[in-house]
Amino acid sequence: MNARLVTGNLLLGVIPIAMVIALWQALVSFSYAPVTLLPSPMHVFERLVQQLLNSAFQQEIVATLFRLFAGFTIAVALGVTTGLAAAANPAVNAVVRPLVRVLAPLPKVALYPALLLLVGFGHESKIALVTADALFPILLSTYYGASTVERKLIWSAMAAGTPGRGILFKVVLPAAAPSILTGCRIGLVISCIVVFLAEMITSTDGLGHVLVTAARTFQAVDMFVPLITISLLGLILNGVLEAVRAYLLRGFPEV
Amino acid sequence: MTSERIFVTRLAPLLASLGLLIVWQLASLALDSDSFPTALEAIRVIPSLLGDPETLINFAASLRRMAIGFGVAVAISIPLGLLMGRSRAVASFFNPLLMIIYPVPKAALMPFIMLWLGVGDIAKTLVIFLGVSLPVIYHSFEGAKAVEEKMLWSGAAMGLSSAQRMVRIVLPAALPEILTGCRTGLVLALITMVTSEMIARQSGAGNILFNALDMGQYDTVFAMIIIIGALGICLDGAFERVRRRLVRWSDPQFDIPLSFS
Repeated sequence: MNARLVTGNLLLGVIPIAMVIALWQALVSFSYAPVTLLPSPMHVFERLVQQLLNSAFQQEIVATLFRLFAGFTIAVALGVTTGLAAAANPAVNAVVRPLVRVLAPLPKVALYPALLLLVGFGHESKIALVTADALFPILLSTYYGASTVERKLIWSAMAAGTPGRGILFKVVLPAAAPSILTGCRIGLVISCIVVFLAEMITSTDGLGHVLVTAARTFQAVDMFVPLITISLLGLILNGVLEAVRAYLLRGFPEV
Repeated sequence: MTSERIFVTRLAPLLASLGLLIVWQLASLALDSDSFPTALEAIRVIPSLLGDPETLINFAASLRRMAIGFGVAVAISIPLGLLMGRSRAVASFFNPLLMIIYPVPKAALMPFIMLWLGVGDIAKTLVIFLGVSLPVIYHSFEGAKAVEEKMLWSGAAMGLSSAQRMVRIVLPAALPEILTGCRTGLVLALITMVTSEMIARQSGAGNILFNALDMGQYDTVFAMIIIIGALGICLDGAFERVRRRLVRWSDPQFDIPLSFS
């Protein structure tokens, strides 16, 4: 694709976003919507910048990020090990497969009240919910990645005298890496969304709590700020993981 | 597959559910805490909960909103996704916007929509619509993109107009992928429904759950979790059956959707 076509496509993509913002601005300017319900885009943007520099708001972001990464890390550790074990061992697979079939379509957010009762209203319940939601995409993509590793690769490693552990770390894991990393990317965005929703449902801090507090006092501007912040965080983390994936998979055929 | 194998694969999820309930029972007996009832205690509440007309009305209203939101989302998303898959201009027009919408927590829009439209059915249905659309668009897009060009050329050579090609070639060819998207969307519809009801706390299944929590009726809380969980598993299972029947001719795909909220 040549450079002119790319810029053409980019320009085309900007149109709908610009249209949304223009529509928003028009609703405010022609006073179809009262400013208390729908603040102007510029007003929201100014408030966003102001809040991002405010240390109290930064504290909320830190609380949210802590829960997000704690839950996500546990989900990756649990999902990758279980996925690899299930792919390598038929006995483990016989147990894990039906369990996943039952648990994956279950709306995890319904478990949140149970988690609140079991582990309390603090960090733990939110971290547990994030783990529960992010676990399955990571587990499933690890499982599919590891169980579709070319048999011949494993056989040649065995023929060359590689011990079992060597086969796992030097053959299966790298071969399953593209699939595992895709699962992690989906899991990370889910973590972002879930941590925010959990904070909206019950919390005393974090970005989700900021939104709920603003909604109770009808501060429309302050409602937009945490929502935009969490969406930006999701976009940034998604981009970072995409870059990590591209770096780790350099030299792989196109994946 | 022999009939014995089929029997085992059908039975395995049931055994897994039973195993989970037994683990729960043992754990609650071991912990012996007031706020963690045993599985049996929770199951015993289910009949009286489902016998209560108010709960049933709440549930029916939730499910109706879910069905409408899901139906409208699918009806709009599939054509949009297919168009995006077949036309590069349409794809580059919508892709950046969808990429920005992707990480937005849809259920978190509930307070905004309530502020603008009030606490009606429209607000809740709209949130479910938003939650379902993206995966369906994405999968339809991927499915339409992968359609073999030669089939389209032969269709054009035989005098099919571009609209006819869309309906008679692209739609069937992309159907397996579209249905995967719909399955993810269905699970998401349930998740979004429960979450938005938990946030809005007005009516519906999510509201019953948190009211019971506030009033300390812990067995009701756990019974509701079983009901919602079972609903999710049944909806997914039923859809999977429909999907298998519709696309029996295609290669088997992942049997569990990688859902994302």
